[in-house]
Amino acid sequence: MIANILDGVVLGLQFGLLAAGLTLVYGLGGVLNLAYGQMAVVSAMAVLFAIDAGAPILSAVGIGLAVGVVLGLILDQTILRPIYRLQGEARVLLSLLLTLGAAFIVDGYLTWRYPTEGLTLRIGGGPMDILGVPMRRGSIVASGITLVALGTLFAFFRGTTLGRAVRSVIEDEEGARLVGIDPRRMLRIILALSGFLAALVAVTQSMVRPITVSAGFSITVFALIVTVVGGLGSVTGAMLAGIILGTISNIAASYIGTFLSLIILLGAAAVTILIRPSGLLGVRE
Amino acid sequence: MLEVRGLTAGYQGSVVIRDVDFHVESGEAVMIIGSNGAGKTTLFRSMLGLLPPSSGAVRFQGSDIVGMPAQQVARLGISFVPAERRLFPRMSVQENLDLGAYPGRPDPETVEIVIGLFPRLAERRRQRAGTMSGGEQQMLAMGRALMAKPALLVLDEPTTGLAPKLAAEAYEALGVLRGRGLTVLVAEQQVPLAMAFSDRGYVLENGVIELEGTSEALAKNPEVRRSYLGVT
Repeated sequence: MIANILDGVVLGLQFGLLAAGLTLVYGLGGVLNLAYGQMAVVSAMAVLFAIDAGAPILSAVGIGLAVGVVLGLILDQTILRPIYRLQGEARVLLSLLLTLGAAFIVDGYLTWRYPTEGLTLRIGGGPMDILGVPMRRGSIVASGITLVALGTLFAFFRGTTLGRAVRSVIEDEEGARLVGIDPRRMLRIILALSGFLAALVAVTQSMVRPITVSAGFSITVFALIVTVVGGLGSVTGAMLAGIILGTISNIAASYIGTFLSLIILLGAAAVTILIRPSGLLGVRE
Repeated sequence: MLEVRGLTAGYQGSVVIRDVDFHVESGEAVMIIGSNGAGKTTLFRSMLGLLPPSSGAVRFQGSDIVGMPAQQVARLGISFVPAERRLFPRMSVQENLDLGAYPGRPDPETVEIVIGLFPRLAERRRQRAGTMSGGEQQMLAMGRALMAKPALLVLDEPTTGLAPKLAAEAYEALGVLRGRGLTVLVAEQQVPLAMAFSDRGYVLENGVIELEGTSEALAKNPEVRRSYLGVT
């Protein structure tokens, strides 16, 4: 049981980190990026190809993270441009349609061209004891990286002028403009960060289970569930929801089965939304 | 310092302000008075890059600022305090103030000045802006605007929703700032306070400037007295 909870928390932290990339873009620009999972997959494939080409594993991971950042910037400069011209609901709707289209194209191409590829990063060494529970070394490294990334993210948002400027746009875009902050520039930075987070989660996930070419949509769906439960636009909420849902999903998966655990996960999400429509830590519209 | 000429603006085809001319010289305190719906807010928004005007020119310290986005206007040295204040509600008082100095770091001297004007803000440093009372939020909005060390401070109805005592306090603070040489432009419905504070004024009615003059002259004008000062 403790092992399951620990594994669940590890998974949940990664869910949270993944969702942070989605929720920030929504909170900042009113854009829901349904190609998010594909950004993770393409980054994972970049790592895979770099390793196949003979790159050392750390450089390959570096390349994958850089690809994630570039994908975020490309998204910002291409299909999001027409979206920025719209406001409010029209913007959310068009962003859903265009990013979903992009997701289908990328997904289709990858599964056609590389149907059997998948990224698995093997971390050597036997299991280690954490709180008296033997855990796979891959999980430990993955959670270590995730925790460091989370800490850095919070330090960035709390302690730096740029991070505070990003939060101020989420709080009140017009207020931010009045103090001289360019919301469009903040969104560009956050899209790059979002691509980085997608790539990072793909890398840490691949230490525990393979990231296949077709994993894109399920990654997006997980990120979306966590985002909605946590409250759109709230990073803290995403973390909280990630840990809760990760633990539920992991316990359900080991006692009941993987397929049913997905249903239980969706059920838990639905119940949260029924009780608190704006999510755990979301703001009322 | 600020010169507005022939400014016409509105929303979705309906014109709210028409052909507005006015100017503010360095060191002056200027008021724009008018009843609710006269177009004061539209005038400020279209002048400061928050609403694209349909025609007209706005010059600030020699540069043409029409068509510039609001964030750029802010960086040129105009701080705007809108009637809705537009604070960052879930951020602390401290963070709100610090962001006022964006992209720089808060200047300790300016912090002193702001805290000197509004000691309450120092007491509430860690409190979330959204949980404060209306009066405190107005102080914070003014404080945040001052953190940028603006050349011109523009306020849209700074007394909205404030009890008379707090409204008077807001104008006391503005008076202190004016004494330090800050140029202030204020739109107001509570005319007596603004009149006592300002050097000159304009009367905006139905989107056009109807009257202008020194505050003393306006205070003697029978129409102004009837409409805005409650003298029959």
